[in-house]
Parts: sequence; structure tokens; C-alpha cells
Amino acid sequence: STQSTGAPPVRKVIIHPVVLFNIVDSFERRNDNCKRVIGTLMGRYDKGVIYVTESFAVPHQETDEEVSMGMDYAMRISEMQKKVNTNMYTVGWYSSGIQINDYSSLIHSFYKVQFPSPVHLTLDTALKEQKMKINTHITLPIGVKNGTEGCIFTPVPHEIKGSEADQVCLKFFQGLKGTRKTPNFNDPEQIVHSCDDMMAQINVILGYVKQVSAGEIPMDKEVGRQLMEVVQSIPNLESDTITNMLNSHMQDLLAVEYLTYLTRQQLAIGARINQIL
Amino acid sequence: MATNQQQQPTEDMDSIQCVEVTSQVIMKITRNCQDELDKQLDPHVSGVLLGLINENKRVLEVTHCFPLMNSDTDESMEINREHMLEMERSLRSVNIDYQQVGFYQSTYLNTHCDRNFLDSVFDYLEEMNEAIAIIYDPLKTKLGHLSLRAFKLSSAAFNLYKAEKDFTAEMLRDNLVTYENLFQEIPVVVKNSSLTNVLLCELGHVQDTTSYFTLPTSSYLEKSMQLLLGGLDEINQDLLKINKYQKSVYKKQTDMMKYIQDRKEENDRMIREGLKPLPEEDVNELFKDPAPVGRLESLLSANRITSHCDMIEEHVKSGIGKLYLADSFMS
Repeated sequence: STQSTGAPPVRKVIIHPVVLFNIVDSFERRNDNCKRVIGTLMGRYDKGVIYVTESFAVPHQETDEEVSMGMDYAMRISEMQKKVNTNMYTVGWYSSGIQINDYSSLIHSFYKVQFPSPVHLTLDTALKEQKMKINTHITLPIGVKNGTEGCIFTPVPHEIKGSEADQVCLKFFQGLKGTRKTPNFNDPEQIVHSCDDMMAQINVILGYVKQVSAGEIPMDKEVGRQLMEVVQSIPNLESDTITNMLNSHMQDLLAVEYLTYLTRQQLAIGARINQIL
Repeated sequence: MATNQQQQPTEDMDSIQCVEVTSQVIMKITRNCQDELDKQLDPHVSGVLLGLINENKRVLEVTHCFPLMNSDTDESMEINREHMLEMERSLRSVNIDYQQVGFYQSTYLNTHCDRNFLDSVFDYLEEMNEAIAIIYDPLKTKLGHLSLRAFKLSSAAFNLYKAEKDFTAEMLRDNLVTYENLFQEIPVVVKNSSLTNVLLCELGHVQDTTSYFTLPTSSYLEKSMQLLLGGLDEINQDLLKINKYQKSVYKKQTDMMKYIQDRKEENDRMIREGLKPLPEEDVNELFKDPAPVGRLESLLSANRITSHCDMIEEHVKSGIGKLYLADSFMS
């Protein structure tokens, strides 16, 4: 099967982290006789970049002789997803395990019908090389025109990117380190952590500046300019103005806190009176 | 609350103690809310939670979720219903738990607690005894604190709502339902499988770009105060209504007494003049009872106001600390 020359070029794939979690979860839920799972990737394509934002598993069977997959299932579920989120369409497929074989090209040709340049994502759940490698490929036609033609899976650079909220979640999950924990609002702890981080960063910068001024490392104009910007960004105000500003801000906060306390007590009193009367 | 527990000890022991959520579900909820947040500031994002109940550990495990459309119109509610049925059928073929254990909803500064929310929680609880509602706060998560809380109606409130759709003060008193124990919060715990942990390690060190050093902004406080004032306004109006109701009840009583008095005098005068006394009429027929004021809205308002107060308090506490930090830094 050849790729039509009108297929849009794909230079990069940006994967949303939720897709990887989905793949791991569907792998864990596979039937006992399956060695790998496949599924559809959904997202959108924009100027040479494929954004993969959602995925779902597709039932399939694979033996040494033949392979079959639920094509109707895949179409049905992708239509349903499109109804709820109109911006998404099928952009490729995934499979667990890094192996790419003949069956892969068969399945790939099915997806080519739905999107002219589908991306194939593999996630190594067998953990060869002690790592869970993620690879993205697209197919390009090779061979002699009007002779033997075929297609080859070529790797495409990928990037895993989420929004700020996703990064917060991921950071929290990584902090779990295998235990169970409740997400809670612990601002003082966070501030302490941030302070420690900042101290470490300042130490690094200080070390660098000392080395440059001692002549051990050649200076870098760009770094120097940025350091200058950082130092100059501290507002140059008189200490009186600063104290006044901070005091008034503090007073605002205290007044608000007092008001909320008052409101809460009022409500509680009202509720108690209701019980008694 | 203490007496409540004494009345129904067995139910509290059987009910679930905590909700376990996998990181996959959290990521899906986050992405769903994020997509909608890009389009408008206050989206009503909701979806269905799927999972199972672990009887032995008294834990509700949430393993999967999918989003629903914004159900403002009838046709979108119809689409949602079909969607749920389709998903249930399809998920079975890929071994995903298909039992609905609740729903999730996004909130904007804790304003989610209204009549619709109560109705949804009630509907899900009717179908399944342990259904929960997960509230996700996207703004707070963006500020750096993953905010996911699970709520359900307390058993007393559930029974009361089942019997009557709008409460009066007497019903509330009899069933010991106040705005504090209307909803019961259940702790949420995040649990991952080993393979997910490997994936997390693979994703490498996530650069947390949120700055925890931002001083408390006045816009956040302003908005919270505005919402607080709005809630207080609502409660004030409810109070006026209640006052009016009580006045009309009192007025009815005095009118009744006056009528009976007049009638008696009339009859006495008739008897003195030798005429037949007027027939006794049923006093209650003449003076109808004024309609009692529903207390449900004020309960919900009180609940909302308390959560706003909590929010402001947290914000202010951390804000004061940061101000002291800034002070020591600047001087």
C-alpha cells in the first residue's frame, strides 16, 4: 500500500500525557491470551504537527497466522468522541510493545483510510532496556514506481507536553513515590520547598559568577545580560513606601479574614437557633 | 452531628471510608476541564465516573471516566443519555469497569453548590447507594495545588430529600439536617499501579512552572468577596420571606381570634333579640394557612457561603505569610 503524494507532511508529534496513561491502563486490562493491545489515537493536525490528545482501546485478536480488529468498534467510538469534543479526529493508532511487524502495516493501512498520514505510537510495556521507551513513526513510500512498492516506518520526533494543570498533577503523582496520598492544600510546605529550590539555584548562579570573576570560565554575554535584568528587576523604592504598602495590604487581608470569621459565626448561630426554636 | 451518628451507627460503619482514584482518571478530568476553560471562563464541565466498590476495605475505586456534553438543552440531555449507554456497551468489550459510581464536575471558586448539583447527587445516590460526586477546581490546580474533593449527601439529608423536595423548618429540625451536614465529604486518595509508576519515572523530572511566591492578588479576593456578598444577599432575601411568612401566620391567628370573637358577640346579640343564632362556620376553612417557605435554597446558600469563607481564609493565611516573607526580602 502506498501513501498518496497529497498526504500532509508530519514533522513532529506532540503527545498529551493522558494518552500514555490510557495506554498503560488498557495494557493492564488486556485479556490473558493477548500479548499486546492496540487502540486509536485522536487529536488534530496543524501545520506539520500532530497533536495527540485522546486515545481509546480497540478490541483485537492476534495469532501467528492472522490478525483481526474491531474496525466497526473503532469507527463507532471515534464518532462518539467527536460528538462530545468536536475538535478531535482520528490521527493514528498505538500499540504496546516495540515490535513493528507485518500486522502493524495492515492495521496502519486501515488507519490511513481515516487520516492520510497516521502516526503510529509504540509504548514498550515489556520494559526492554529497563526503560519504557516511547516511539512514534509514520510511513513513507519506498520502492520503485510502477514496480515493487511498499512503505517503511520512519521515526518522527515526539514531545510529551501538557498544560500547567497537567504538570501540577504529574508533579503530585511523582511525589507519591508509590504510596497513597490525599491531594491537599499545604501552602507553607510548598513555600518552603520553593525557597529551598530557589536557594539552590542562587547558589549555582553565585558559583558561576565567582568563577567568571576569578577568570576560570570565559564570560558569556547573554548570561551576563540576563543576570543584569534579574538584579535590576527588584523595584528600587524607599523603605518607607515599601513598609506602607505591605502594611496596608496586610490590613486588607486581616479585615477580610475578620469578616469571613464573623459571617461564619453568624451562620452557625442562625443554624443553632433554628434547631432550638 | 453526634446525635446523627448515634441514631444510625450501622450505616456509617458500612459506608465507604475513602475514595481511591487512579492518576489516569485525574489526568482525563484535568484535560477535559482545561479544554473547556480555553473556550470560556466558567464552563460547566461534567462527566461520569466508572469504577467499583471494594467491600472489604470499604473503599470506592474510581478507575475510568468520560466526559458528557453540557446538558443545558433537552437534545443535549438526550445525546448524553445515548452516549452513556453506548459507552457502557463498548467499555465492556475492552475490560473496563462499566459500573457508574458517580459523576465529576468542575467548579469556579466553589460556586457549584446549587439546586442542579443537589439533584444530580440525589439521582446518582438513588441508583447506587455509594455514589459520589467529585468536584475538581481547575483554578486552584493551576495555582499549584491539585484540588479534588468527593462529596455525597449525608444519609439524613438523602432520606429527607427523598420524601420531600422542599423542606420546612420543622422537617429540618426533626431530621437534624443543617447546612453543615447537608453534604458529607469523603477523603480522596490517589493510587497508581506499578506500571504507571514506571511511566511516571519515564516522563522525567516535571518542571513545575507555578510560582508559589505570588503575593495574594486583590482580584481573587475581590471576586471571592463578591460571591460572598451575593450569597449573603440571597440569605437575606430568604430571611425576609421567612419574616413575611411568620407575620402572615401571626396575622392569620389574630384574624381568626377576632372573627371568633365577632361571631360570638353577634350570636349573643341575636340570642338577646330572640333571633336564631348564625351558623357556626368552620374557622379554618375561612382562613387559609399561608404557604410555608422552602428552606432548601437557604441551606444551599449557607453551604456555599461557608465554602467561600473557607477559601478566603486559606488564601488570607498563606497571603499573610508571604507578605512577611516579602517584607524581610525588601528591607
